[in-house]
Amino acid sequence: MIVLAIETATTACGVGLRTASGVEVVTVLDTERRHTEVLSAGIAQMLTQAALGPRDVTRVVVDRGPGLFTGLRVGIATASAFAQALGCELVEVTSLELLAHGAYDVGVRGRLVAAVDGRRGELFVQTFNLDEQVESVNEPVVARPRDVVIEWATSGAPVTFTGDGVARYVEDFAAVPQGALITQSVPSLHAALALGATRTPSPVVTPLYLREADAIANFTTRERNP
Amino acid sequence: MTVVLGIETSCDETAAAVVDENFHVRSSIIESSIDQHRAFGGVVPELAGRAHVTTLGPVVARALDEAGLDPHHPAIDAVAVTSGPGLIGSLLVGLSAAKAYALAWGVPFVGVNHLEGHLFAPLLERSDLEWPLMTLLVSGGHSMLVLQSGPGTHQVLGETIDDAAGEAYDKVARWLGLGYPGGPVIDALAQQGDASALTLPVSMTGSDFNLSFSGLKTAVVRASARHADVALADVAASFQAAVAEQLLRKLRRALEVHEVKGVALAGGVAANSALRAGVSALADEFSLACHLPTLAMCTDNAAMIAAAGLYRFQAHGASSLELSAEPNWQLAHV
Ligand SMILES: [Zn+2]
Repeated sequence: MIVLAIETATTACGVGLRTASGVEVVTVLDTERRHTEVLSAGIAQMLTQAALGPRDVTRVVVDRGPGLFTGLRVGIATASAFAQALGCELVEVTSLELLAHGAYDVGVRGRLVAAVDGRRGELFVQTFNLDEQVESVNEPVVARPRDVVIEWATSGAPVTFTGDGVARYVEDFAAVPQGALITQSVPSLHAALALGATRTPSPVVTPLYLREADAIANFTTRERNP
Repeated sequence: MTVVLGIETSCDETAAAVVDENFHVRSSIIESSIDQHRAFGGVVPELAGRAHVTTLGPVVARALDEAGLDPHHPAIDAVAVTSGPGLIGSLLVGLSAAKAYALAWGVPFVGVNHLEGHLFAPLLERSDLEWPLMTLLVSGGHSMLVLQSGPGTHQVLGETIDDAAGEAYDKVARWLGLGYPGGPVIDALAQQGDASALTLPVSMTGSDFNLSFSGLKTAVVRASARHADVALADVAASFQAAVAEQLLRKLRRALEVHEVKGVALAGGVAANSALRAGVSALADEFSLACHLPTLAMCTDNAAMIAAAGLYRFQAHGASSLELSAEPNWQLAHV
């Protein structure tokens, strides 16, 4: 099995490739929201360097969010079209589970809070238990950084925070007495490749927005017609 | 024979089409998210972007299927896609997908200007097209007079300095409480109204070819507020006549200055009955061929993008996979 991984949930854009022999290559192509410009060109280059052609890819794994809306759409549109064109399998993962697996892979254990920057002063957050394996404790939600910090500071339970949402509000998160921080600016592409190889494929990938479009619609309409 | 898959996602239409080098449309599929936007009185970018990402794959699959092409090994020579102008979040979906299809199938990829796409629409419906051609391109986002000396060779003579004609229709319709989009509903109402009921100012009387609809929109709102007794149909008829009058006056002047073989109407507002009648009459008066698009070709579609892409690809080659979306890409800069 040859797996191609696509990661566009944050301002960074990354691709990964796992060859039939299990060799993994991952690259962060850009960190400045230039997903559209770098993604397909990056995939082409990565395949060429591995001496593979597009038709050698048997599975495409893509991060469906939560994260930057436009980034997600670029990644999902690219992954879906690529898989549709080849008739190959498509696997979806979430940004927050990739962060959890990324932390697990570097030895983090116990409670982990993964947070992706949701803009507008909010985070996309999910809590995991990293023990024998990575298990989610709850569903991903939208939350304000202060509320997450207060919740964990008052609980007193040991916890590790990770993700670009934590990096953005690092001073707030550093104030949690029993909290530890680990840096992961990009959801783990190695985790995406590993999950992509083992998880059941899905016929279509649906973006995980966590915000209703109607609310955004009202917001943008109000903005336009003050 | 060169065959191109076209993709269009610049606004609320998600479209895919297969066109060959004879400009024969082998398939053309259009889905619109317009119903989701009605309540907001205009296209909401986030809603449009969300719709494209779920709709595009199935639309492309249908376009390939109807053209009799293998979904995984289609006999196409290029993938063409609108890369601007349009809503950035919508453009990105089509652009990203088009690059991925091209990469996966190992065929070139071509970025197309949406407005140039509209200019290619007559080629898809007429095999007897003669150049030069004077085109009035009017839509919800654009209003311009374009002199085409041949396919892909165009000169923008003038364009709107404020609102597009379609935008004025939407705004007036919203003010009159007629819903969104405004074009079809005002056009239908205007058929039953008296165009002389309201006296509206004649704008843009200069000798240039620029257009303006913002003042007219304001004048309609003011005049109909002042004359509350004037029937809605009469307001609609007066407004519609004023829009057509300005467009036709500029078109007439362009035909007086530039010698052409034909006149064409393009864009969403090309569906407007007053404008169609007026352009047709002008063409008769100047003894020119008249190219009025079918209603299906007025709407944004991917066949016109494939056609423009075909020309671009044959004349200028493929685009780089690193091409970015250009939400404000002007036709004059193509
Ligand atoms: Zn258009």
